[in-house]
Amino acid sequence: MEYIVRTENLSKHFGKEKAVSGLEMKIPKGEIYGFLGPNGAGKTTTIRMLLGLMKPDSGRIEIFQKDLKKERLNILGRVGSLVESPSYYPHLTAKENLEAMRKILGVPKQRIAEVLEIVRLTDACDKKVKGFSLGMKQRLGIAASLLNNPELLILDEPTNGLDPSGIIEIRNLIKSLPSECGMTVLISSHLLSEIDQMATTVGIVTKGKMIFQDSIEAMRMFSQQSVLLKVSESDKAWRSLLGRGMKAGLDSGIISLPQQSDEQVAEAVRGLVADGFSVYRVEEEKRSLEDIFLQMTREEQAG
Amino acid sequence: MLSILKSEWFKLRKSKIFGILLVGPLIGLGAGIGADAVETAGAMNEWYMLLIYMNLPYSVLFLPLVTGVLASLVCRYEHQSGGWKQVLALPVTRGKVFAAKYVLILLLVLFIQLLYLAAIFGAGLYKGVADPFPAAIIWKSILGGWVATFPLVALQLWMSVWFKSFAAPFAVNVVFTLPSILAMNSEKVGPYYPWAQPFAMMYPATDTGDIFFIPWEQLLTVIGGFFLLFYLGGYFYFQRKAV
Repeated sequence: MEYIVRTENLSKHFGKEKAVSGLEMKIPKGEIYGFLGPNGAGKTTTIRMLLGLMKPDSGRIEIFQKDLKKERLNILGRVGSLVESPSYYPHLTAKENLEAMRKILGVPKQRIAEVLEIVRLTDACDKKVKGFSLGMKQRLGIAASLLNNPELLILDEPTNGLDPSGIIEIRNLIKSLPSECGMTVLISSHLLSEIDQMATTVGIVTKGKMIFQDSIEAMRMFSQQSVLLKVSESDKAWRSLLGRGMKAGLDSGIISLPQQSDEQVAEAVRGLVADGFSVYRVEEEKRSLEDIFLQMTREEQAG
Repeated sequence: MLSILKSEWFKLRKSKIFGILLVGPLIGLGAGIGADAVETAGAMNEWYMLLIYMNLPYSVLFLPLVTGVLASLVCRYEHQSGGWKQVLALPVTRGKVFAAKYVLILLLVLFIQLLYLAAIFGAGLYKGVADPFPAAIIWKSILGGWVATFPLVALQLWMSVWFKSFAAPFAVNVVFTLPSILAMNSEKVGPYYPWAQPFAMMYPATDTGDIFFIPWEQLLTVIGGFFLLFYLGGYFYFQRKAV
């Protein structure tokens, strides 16, 4: 597979604290990679290292299959980025902010109007950014990241500070980028729902370590349901189910049947009724991605 | 490199710097007009007398101080709202960004020096100085004073890249500039004190045969040496700075 971003054993510490340790990130071409983790997990530190804003203590970064150390300029020319809080020059207008960057990137002047249109800032383009709301600054940051028509777009918490309609707009924009412009996108977020709605590949990081990295479908596999049974004499009922050779759990009077087919659930109920237990409720418990995420991060902390 | 310089100038141009550029030459002009040059006339070319009067506030205090103000200005908007990470995530090397900022400040100082030249001329016309205008003033004093700021600009840029606040680099600057009033009176320390060099290089001495008003050795060792020290210090600091 062609990886646009690949890190090997990437590590960075601040004093004694390990911000990123042994991180192996793999982003296939054309994917929207959701970089997910709680606050302070090392997402921004990783992104800073990907952009060469910070030097890793050890490890290797390859972008476009080139070593970042050796071909930084070439790589950065093909990358657009928005890191952490939006960066801007408060004394300049939106248009002038983009112009200052355009002079270095050397893209045609009309591109400024184009990106302003994309993020819907055209009306405010001659106002000083000082007076912008956080959402407008965020839009400007996204506009700036698109200025050079990048092949890889790195957005750190891109929907921060946006209102709900703005979030939907930006989400749709990001979703359209791989198919329309052939971009590969890396978005970081601490909100799973955010990633769930955009990403095609997910990397979950906690305490500087990558604890999960696969397609979003693979992640959803974790959310398979289990069936909960509320019955009379739950302790005895549970034993009878085990006696029938079925997998079952018991938790505070509720029997759970993990990952069973419809037929197996029916068989379990039939068996319980035959053994004289009363079945009060049969419920399906669907674990949200949120639960899985929490469980994963918790397991990591325990281990 | 040129594109970075253009971008830097664009950012600076929009931040109302023209007032700052005018302050020094106006101070010089005021000193020149108020100068009591007539009594001492005859001893030497009156233009030189005028220059000595004007140089005192300008080259001792204003010129070293303004290098710091300009350095702070070209870094201020980078510190304010994440400008550094924006610039450095572009396809540029840190060395070039540092150099572009340095060159930009030097060009502004040169511009101030030219305004100062105009102020000398203006003060002379006002006073009705009759002696022929010595062209040596232009390249010795004006360009010499400019060259003398090279190390100061380098140090101030280093400090301004380092400190987020406007005050810290300025304090460093003042702390080193004020003693130059003492240093320039000392034959031992004066020639080696970087902050006293603008005065030394702008002060019209009797013809020494050197290109500037200070000996070559002093130019190369003191100004050249401190320039290298400060520039490389700032350069390497900026290379490693995490943004």
